[in-house]
Amino acid sequence: MSARRSRSRQAGAGRITDEQIDDLMSKLQAILPEARLGRNDRVSAAKVLQEACSYIRSLHREMDDLSERLSELLSTTEMSSAQAAVVRSLLM
Amino acid sequence: MAVSDAVGEAAVGGGGERKRKRGSKPVPAKWRTEGEQRIYSSKLIDALRRVRRSSASAPSSPSSPPSDHVRNREVREAADRVLAVSARGRTRWSRAILSRRTLRRRVRLRACRPKPGSAACVSRAAAERRKSPAVEKKTRVLGRLVPGCRKLPLPSLLEEVWDYIPALEMQVRAMNAIAEAFSTAGGAPSSPTHVDSMWIEEETM
Repeated sequence: MSARRSRSRQAGAGRITDEQIDDLMSKLQAILPEARLGRNDRVSAAKVLQEACSYIRSLHREMDDLSERLSELLSTTEMSSAQAAVVRSLLM
Repeated sequence: MAVSDAVGEAAVGGGGERKRKRGSKPVPAKWRTEGEQRIYSSKLIDALRRVRRSSASAPSSPSSPPSDHVRNREVREAADRVLAVSARGRTRWSRAILSRRTLRRRVRLRACRPKPGSAACVSRAAAERRKSPAVEKKTRVLGRLVPGCRKLPLPSLLEEVWDYIPALEMQVRAMNAIAEAFSTAGGAPSSPTHVDSMWIEEETM
């Protein structure tokens, strides 16, 4: 019983405690968009994982759409040196 | 949209974050700095030019859908590769992307095995204690979504995700900005306000 509730890490073996899992979960919760989970409410581990999965999936979808869009733009954009300079200045 | 929240954060916290000393562990805040996004955008533009050049020179039937898919994939792979490079090899997901692309291996690398002595890794038995089946199942799903993290125990996986998500957000922001810039620039060529000589040199290669 005391081993499970132990707060200290075992040297070398690195046994993870429940507190550490909770800590990592709330760190993850802070990374996820606020609309999905809120910031400070205690959310279950399963919910955090669920939202992380769904968020990553939506980011991947956005990436696919953007790749498609950029791919099309690449083929149509002339990219002369003048336009390249404009692109750079828009980004800097 | 979720990404716009992150942009707001980057604008506010950008200056302060840059001063932070970079430790050995991946810090997700770096993905939200303007500097990091600028570097990424710059490298990505270079990579995209290479993709454009290679697809232009490759013999293909005009306007055939298959070549569009190929180019889409090349753009996506270039974006992922540049992102992984930006991670500077400190995370599993970035190393997995780089290995996947460079060596063209179809077999998943065994690099997921946790190294001894690393703070984030634990013995699998210890990490899997007392997990509900729901948590375990979602852990597996999450592990499949992050490159190179299929078999990671939960704590290590969380560390990876903690870095991977902000990196993805930056990638989306940067690509959005580049797409906007391309759309704008493609409309009306104007005389350059300042000429980037390096760019011109490469363009005429």
